[in-house]
Amino acid sequence: MKRLAVLLVIAAALAAPVAASAHPLGNFTINRFSRVEVSGHRLYVRYVLDMAEIPTFQAGRIDARAYARRIARNAQLVVGGKAARLVLLGTALAHPRGAAGLRTTRLEVILAGPALNGPASISYQDNNYKDRIGWKEIVVGPKTRSTSDELRAYPKNLLQSPLDITSVRTQLAPTGGPDVPPALSSGKTLEAPDRVADAGFSSLIGRHHLSALVILASLAAAFFWGMAHALSPGHGKTIVAAYLVGRRGTPWHAAALGAIVTATHTIGVFAFGLVTLALSAFIVPEQLYPWLNLVSGVLVVAIGATVFRSRYRHRGHTHDHHHHEHEAPSRRSLVAVGITGGLLPCPSALVVLLAAISLHRVAFGMLLIVAFSAGLALSITGIGLVAVFAKQIFKRASFEGRLVRLLPAASALVILAAGLAMTVRALPKVS
Amino acid sequence: MKRQRLILVAAAAGLTAAALTLGGVLHDSSSASPTAAAQVAPTSASGQPSPGNTLAVAARLQATLRGNPNDVTALDSLGLAYQQSARETGDPTYYTKSDEALHRALALAPRDLIATSGLGSLALSRHRFRKALVLGRRAHAISPTTARNYGVIGDALVELGRYHAAFKTFDTMASIQPGLSSYARISHARQLLGDVPGAIDAMKLAVDAGDGQGEASAWTHVQLGLIYLSVGRFAAAGTQDRQALFIFPDYAYALDALARAEAGMGHYRAAIGFEQQAVNRIPLPQYVSTLGDLYGATGHPRLAQKQYELIGVIQRLLVANGVKTDLETALFNVDHGIRLHASLALARLAWRERLSIDGDDVLAWALERTGHCGEALRYSKRALGLGTLDALKVFHRGMIEGCLGHTAAKRAWLGRALRLNPQFSILWAPVARLELR
Repeated sequence: MKRLAVLLVIAAALAAPVAASAHPLGNFTINRFSRVEVSGHRLYVRYVLDMAEIPTFQAGRIDARAYARRIARNAQLVVGGKAARLVLLGTALAHPRGAAGLRTTRLEVILAGPALNGPASISYQDNNYKDRIGWKEIVVGPKTRSTSDELRAYPKNLLQSPLDITSVRTQLAPTGGPDVPPALSSGKTLEAPDRVADAGFSSLIGRHHLSALVILASLAAAFFWGMAHALSPGHGKTIVAAYLVGRRGTPWHAAALGAIVTATHTIGVFAFGLVTLALSAFIVPEQLYPWLNLVSGVLVVAIGATVFRSRYRHRGHTHDHHHHEHEAPSRRSLVAVGITGGLLPCPSALVVLLAAISLHRVAFGMLLIVAFSAGLALSITGIGLVAVFAKQIFKRASFEGRLVRLLPAASALVILAAGLAMTVRALPKVS
Repeated sequence: MKRQRLILVAAAAGLTAAALTLGGVLHDSSSASPTAAAQVAPTSASGQPSPGNTLAVAARLQATLRGNPNDVTALDSLGLAYQQSARETGDPTYYTKSDEALHRALALAPRDLIATSGLGSLALSRHRFRKALVLGRRAHAISPTTARNYGVIGDALVELGRYHAAFKTFDTMASIQPGLSSYARISHARQLLGDVPGAIDAMKLAVDAGDGQGEASAWTHVQLGLIYLSVGRFAAAGTQDRQALFIFPDYAYALDALARAEAGMGHYRAAIGFEQQAVNRIPLPQYVSTLGDLYGATGHPRLAQKQYELIGVIQRLLVANGVKTDLETALFNVDHGIRLHASLALARLAWRERLSIDGDDVLAWALERTGHCGEALRYSKRALGLGTLDALKVFHRGMIEGCLGHTAAKRAWLGRALRLNPQFSILWAPVARLELR
């Protein structure tokens, strides 16, 4: 039963990684939304423009009023068969963050049309950015639901093509109430934080203002993030668990392993970042990854072999001297196991470090990475503790010693197999 | 305000924790990147939604599936319709949708032919050539007589540099089902082998088979135009590109090809206009790069610089989306002297993914630019090994020979490049002329 925990950990470690999704629409879309509505006697158009990263970069500095005037010119309104002019009332501009630390653009424009004396037939056509790909949506009426929540949340539903509505025809009449122009968004609503699905650890580094509270919150987030990350495939969880089961591991050993993993991972990220920066002219970071994979693979095989050999020797002269020296983890092998857990820098930790350097926030970046690594270590220690206690309970519960004696040999085999798998997977990529 | 931010941070942490227990951020790519919209031959002229009304077809299929979400045939057709939409609009979001639809069909019917080969052509569009080959072969095992599967297998083989196996596959395909798809592939094979007149003949057959209808037909015109362009017949190329635009207005591939044809005739202003339109449609790095080169050639260094910076932005986005920077961006960096040593490392990485002669050529050029001319010669020989008449590859060879001190060979190769196409590159044709002086 307790071995089930170990087995589950192994299964989790071998599970294939699932791809994370990135941007809801393409990085080069220009998306347009119009809401045509009547308030009191007057007709209004609330216009929203959402430009993804590439068009935002192409646009350079944006003059909101000039953009709004051009939008008004290219939005054709016909009321009762006669062309009507749209007058600019107000604009709101924000640059929500997008992918890769780039900016996007959200521009909201309020346009006023003519006053209506009674029911009138309205035709509205949006001719802005005709040759650009993007979501094009028009709704009529102040309360009508927008499929994209006014370009804030694009549906990811399989059965929904990007909307392509550029004109509407409708009948509108004056409303009973007072004439109140539609409102512009501000603050968080304008920044549309849901627009980009990917935020994550690497977003922590780019926050605008660093107050003490934000720093603390970011550190806490990094810590939890590290904890969660340790549970994703890799990070030597199997090996740590199997090692502690195979040797006579104590809770102290589990804690020590966690500390070593933190130290290795922190040093690893810094060293890796340094190498990437100093040698960027000669080395692409991805080239190093297969080598690091190979090194950890070989290291794990070596650890497995040591555990297995000592086990074998132990069986050879049963109840002999040095009983404990063979079984308890030596300091050297403990370090080796910890290193395999932390050797491969987590890519997102690296991204954080590089972003920190480019933003001149090196200290903050380092702190984030330390917090991240500590979270990583806590998870690994936790798994180690589970393995240690599981073994102790298992030992106490079983009356027949045979199973208990077989367990270390089995865990040695698990370590060997994991190491071989890592090595074999790393080999073809190294050249 | 501070509290709001705190809540945001906490929410972000929770979300990412959830996302990350599922998998890493940088493991795989999403398709929401410009280069994913790469161009691949139409896999089938028949059996796909009829051109022009792809969106209407998709809408009808969506309605069917809302009623019956497990309709495998509708899922298959919707998957293909989304791929067609991606080709027509250049919007890579459709690739993600196609992927989802076809995978759902496959989950319902694991040996479904259309879903398998559809995922194969999708893998080609996303430059996952090995995966495409596996899927194509799987589809072929399901149905050995379907021509479409040979197209997927052959295209993947070409990109993986296994030319002779690819050409045999195309022959089989043409014998099973003569038509636009097979003629276009025969033409491509002949072009690779240096048989330009034969390639033109085959592509003309493909144009005729296209019957002036829809995106597939426009695509054949662009391909024919590109063959003319490769041998410096700019007017003929321009005519084909304009016909493509007449059949399918705002077609980005045609706009880019037309821009290059106009540039070949020295009409730089027109070229800039067309290339700008192409970039507006789909900002592929190679389009942006051509636009920058055109600005540079017309004495607008600041506008050129702006385009080159845009390529940097696109590269950052690609990396953020988990796409390995590919051959095209490596070539851009090498061509423009950007971080040459890092670019060489990039070219080596790209070469490992693209074992085609294009991969060989870019790596050879990167090696030449960084002074590794002996190694460069090895790859250049492979790049020209099929006998392909590509002036740019021939020019690269000339520069490599020059770097090795083989002056006679250098002059011969550079002369050959200019005879093949006197305006083979905005950037390098003038250099070739200068070197020959």
